[in-house]
Amino acid sequence: MAGKFFFIDTTRCTACRGCQTACKQYKKHGVTKTKQYGTYQNPPDLDGNTFRLVRFSEHPAKVNSMAWYFFTEACRHCLKPACKKKADQILKDAIIVKDYGAVLFSKKTKDLEKSFKAIKQACPWSIPTWSKDEKQIVKCNMCYDRVEAGLFPACAKACPTGALNFGDEAEIKKLANERLKAAKKKFDGRGEILDLEDVRALYLITDVQAKYRPVA
Amino acid sequence: MTNHWIDIRNSDCILIMGSNAAENHPISMKWVEKAMDKGATLISVDPRFTRTSSKADIYTALRSGTDIPFLGGMMNYILSNNKFHKEYAANYTNASFIVGSKFDFKDGLFTGYDPKKKKYDKSQWAFEKDGNGVPKRDLSLKDPRCVFQLMKKHYSRYTPKTVSAITGTPEADLKKVWETYAETGAVDKTGTIMYAMGWTQHTVGVQNIRMMAMIQLMLGNMGRAGGGVNALRGESNVQGSTDHCLLFHILPGYMATPSTKLPKLADYLKRRAKSNDPLSANWWQNEPKYMVSFLKSMFGEAATADNDFGYDWMPKLDAGKTYSWLDIFDDMYKGNFKGFFAWGQNPACSGANSNKTRQALGKLDWMVNVNIFDNETASFWKGPGMKPDEIKTEVFFLPCYTSVEKEGSITNSGRWMQWRYAAAKPPRGTMGDGEIMVKLFEKVRELYESDGKFPEPIKNFRWDFVKDGKFDSHAVAKLVNGYFEKDATVKGKSFKKGTLVPSFAYLLTDGSTSSGNWLYCNSYTEKGNMAARRGKKDPTGMGLYPEWSWCWPVNRRIIYNRASVDLNGKPWSPDKNILEYKDGKWVGDVPDGGWPPMTNKEKTKRPFIMKPDGVGSVFGPGRADGPFPEHYEPLECPVPKNLMSSQRINPVAPVYGTEADAHFSCDPRFPFVGTTYRVTEHWQTGILTRWQPWLLELQPQLFVEMSNELGKLKGINNGDKCKVSSARGEVEAVAIVTGRFKPFKVQGTTVHQIGLPWCFGWIYPKDGGDSANLLTASTGDPNTRIPETKAFMVNVEKLGKRRA
Amino acid sequence: MSLTRREFLKWSGTAGAAAAAMCLGFDLRPVSSYAADLKILKAKETTSICPYCAVGCGLIVHTKKSGKLLNAEGDPDHPINEGALCAKGAALYQMTVNKNRMKNPLYRAPESDEWEEIEWDEAIEKIAKRIKETRDATFTEKNAKGQMVNRTTGIAHVGSAALDNEECWLLQGIMRAMGLVYIEHQARI
Repeated sequence: MAGKFFFIDTTRCTACRGCQTACKQYKKHGVTKTKQYGTYQNPPDLDGNTFRLVRFSEHPAKVNSMAWYFFTEACRHCLKPACKKKADQILKDAIIVKDYGAVLFSKKTKDLEKSFKAIKQACPWSIPTWSKDEKQIVKCNMCYDRVEAGLFPACAKACPTGALNFGDEAEIKKLANERLKAAKKKFDGRGEILDLEDVRALYLITDVQAKYRPVA
Repeated sequence: MTNHWIDIRNSDCILIMGSNAAENHPISMKWVEKAMDKGATLISVDPRFTRTSSKADIYTALRSGTDIPFLGGMMNYILSNNKFHKEYAANYTNASFIVGSKFDFKDGLFTGYDPKKKKYDKSQWAFEKDGNGVPKRDLSLKDPRCVFQLMKKHYSRYTPKTVSAITGTPEADLKKVWETYAETGAVDKTGTIMYAMGWTQHTVGVQNIRMMAMIQLMLGNMGRAGGGVNALRGESNVQGSTDHCLLFHILPGYMATPSTKLPKLADYLKRRAKSNDPLSANWWQNEPKYMVSFLKSMFGEAATADNDFGYDWMPKLDAGKTYSWLDIFDDMYKGNFKGFFAWGQNPACSGANSNKTRQALGKLDWMVNVNIFDNETASFWKGPGMKPDEIKTEVFFLPCYTSVEKEGSITNSGRWMQWRYAAAKPPRGTMGDGEIMVKLFEKVRELYESDGKFPEPIKNFRWDFVKDGKFDSHAVAKLVNGYFEKDATVKGKSFKKGTLVPSFAYLLTDGSTSSGNWLYCNSYTEKGNMAARRGKKDPTGMGLYPEWSWCWPVNRRIIYNRASVDLNGKPWSPDKNILEYKDGKWVGDVPDGGWPPMTNKEKTKRPFIMKPDGVGSVFGPGRADGPFPEHYEPLECPVPKNLMSSQRINPVAPVYGTEADAHFSCDPRFPFVGTTYRVTEHWQTGILTRWQPWLLELQPQLFVEMSNELGKLKGINNGDKCKVSSARGEVEAVAIVTGRFKPFKVQGTTVHQIGLPWCFGWIYPKDGGDSANLLTASTGDPNTRIPETKAFMVNVEKLGKRRA
Repeated sequence: MSLTRREFLKWSGTAGAAAAAMCLGFDLRPVSSYAADLKILKAKETTSICPYCAVGCGLIVHTKKSGKLLNAEGDPDHPINEGALCAKGAALYQMTVNKNRMKNPLYRAPESDEWEEIEWDEAIEKIAKRIKETRDATFTEKNAKGQMVNRTTGIAHVGSAALDNEECWLLQGIMRAMGLVYIEHQARI
């Protein structure tokens, strides 16, 4: 199967959180007890029940005086996953990569509890989580069962505005380039695709990266 | 919606004001963004910067309750800069009509005001008529007594400076919005408005919407692809439940409820105004057919010409008295009801002034609540501050099915009637709403078999659609469509008794047809269940999808679509062709009546067929509070005077007088403007969503949003626990201190506004907070009596630092 | 109407094309060994419409033979949402499969501080009797002015925009047949 990619166009996201919820629904995940703590973002971070999270951040801006950024975050399925490199040093193939690029944490990661922190730290975005319920390392699995059956990942299917896209590499990269061009036109020349050569989840942003998510 | 969701993509400019589409109608943004991809401009006007605003090309704020000045200023800009669509305005609206000499406007009051009754004599606003009884017109729009000139004079008072001083919107922002939206007055451009409760929930709610409808008419945006006046309805079937008139003042299909003014059927059947204008279709002249057919659906074979088809069995209102939601809870609070049904509703959180509502429930003898989950209404007697041992109300709670456990249709905001099927098996112990209705009514009828007051309507209520005590949604849907009750020939076609009526054009006044709701006649015919269709053809390429489900009336996807063409029947914008007169017939959408274009003076009819004069009402002499929208402050407001006149509040707004109805303006105890809204993650009072762990995780607790400036002023930090109070109640909420609210400069002073979602309640989760409607006031719009929950006065205080 | 699995797959495939640039470039490959995990492929599919806001998004509801709800997601063939759903719509499953759901009629007696369970038949009978008692006690044939009104002002009703059209029509019918004039619902608030 051809390599699969996500493309996230942050300029189109309305934070409806269909993606975050569709992920939970399809996987029938549990929840974290949350509190209102001065933001719409909840749970506060990715966790054992939350493989995809929409981050909210507000900033003063020139146009309309405000910007409210929404950043749907999950595992980026790196082309050369640092988590796997780290894990392989301890237990070979606890983390596997499918031919189309999905990076999957197998049940073998149950034996990696002691190394979990090192694996999490190896990830540039600190995505991996230790699940207390499943007693293994968890994160987005690209809905591999759906993808292999010819369906879209639950999150991408739910997105109404074309903010979260999924598909074959060539088409996704073509789309990303078109959207980049459109964004630059609309946002005074601002716009970049993050980590184009390294990941399978390409983000289009139009402002400083640190304004969208805490920098690890 | 006059148009529909997909049609938003055809717009050149989208104004989202009085709604927050991205949060409350999230999928609509799909079509908004599609329009933007093609170059459309998105404008968001809201007191608070929302998820919608985050996607807008232009965002600006206004103080809650000042939409009329904002839009009145836009009208002033449009008229004084000749930005309107002249040919459209002259031919398709009443801008050219001459208003009678009695009409005038002085210092906030129209002529005919009776201060004692707080009512207008609307006859003083009538049009001047010629010898044939047809309103006089001046198509040049120059006559000083024509609507156009009177309107121009009226809105010339809404200057940028005055408007800015009222709304708190900077003048530069006002101009930017006005100029951008007014560009849709160009003949080939269209603009659309997406509004919701942000406009209706005010003492000037109807006039907020009228103001925008007038702008849409003057810009030539009605009836056209990418245009229209689009109410984003908040419940999956609030369109259908309104069409079927679970409302005191109307019967299914928007026909008036019988009243003492219409004591006999004969009075009812001649109640509609006649039009002497040969160019007016005056569609409502057909009402007698619809009314008699409705009565046949209600009483079946028992309804005969001899007994006025059972008209006397229909309960009648006292003419002039209102029986609205606010009246119900006012009367209930005073102990005037014994029994009460809250069916699929949670009024203890959803209505204005929840404390009054909750107290009122305690004065009943009995109450029935039908719901999926426990809620603040069913369990009101054990709520905060209640003493169960002093509350005598008997309560029945009946648990019902969810939407995927039953079969039937719902009508979306775009008037699409869509069928859905039973998918899951309901849990044991629950019952479908339809089944509950059938069982309950059969039991009541059984009790009336032996004795009881006035049993005829109960005994004669049609029941042939129920077999073996089972509710069958198909059978009811067919009854709603209507049958031939006997063999009949209509328009040269013969129909056998028992045949489904093909469309309302075939309904009759003599009792040979039934139709539960004429607007839905054509929805379930001999061709089948139209609402269940899944055809994806789109012949116009404009997203009408005429074979997907069915839409009222008669599958017309855009209402008043004959206004989308010029006098020759050619589309105003060729690239937005939804309808065109070609080779002697209309091609495209189902036209609003099949008459030829306006140039055919012999046979044509004007496009606004539901209006008595066939044109759009820029001048609206039927409204309770005046033919032109005028600014009045909300019942509770932060300013001592209304800059537009010495009438501070709407002179005809209803005000209730119990001790639970306190309200204060310019009171130092309640110095800040408050408003309420919803969030994506919960629905209405939250009674279906708070119980769902996935959704509760996303929005777990009541919050109050306020500006950084107000936070500083009150020593409140982001995440602090606060108390928000009004003259009527208080709630605890977590502060979100944000740059998305900003203080307003109003009449030279600083006005702060805060806002809270109303989706929480005490019953669950226990740490979630209570309803924001504890703060709101029971007053409302004089036309609709929709409560003013979008603008009221509050205080906010820090309760202490929040524990992590 | 229920859709076959094949049709569902086909729709998913066309969704990419219809939704242009949402989900791209799929080869439908044969179900692999991993797809054995995919419960929804074996499920019965039924179309529905979202019960929340009035956009009217289409849903595909997956159930087991037993009628147990497995999954609910957007209907890719629906022209309005083209498979998409917001947070509420995406969580639809949990409105139905929810341990907090009420599964028995309840009765609260005057001055009581607790609910008690009641059988459906008894609840219906008691409510019907209350209706009759109240109606007979408060029925007004003529108002103060002596005009015929034939109405019941002792009972009020609110609801509901959450009901199906057919239920709404029937409900207004039975309430009006019983003589109620205080009939309102969400559209008024």
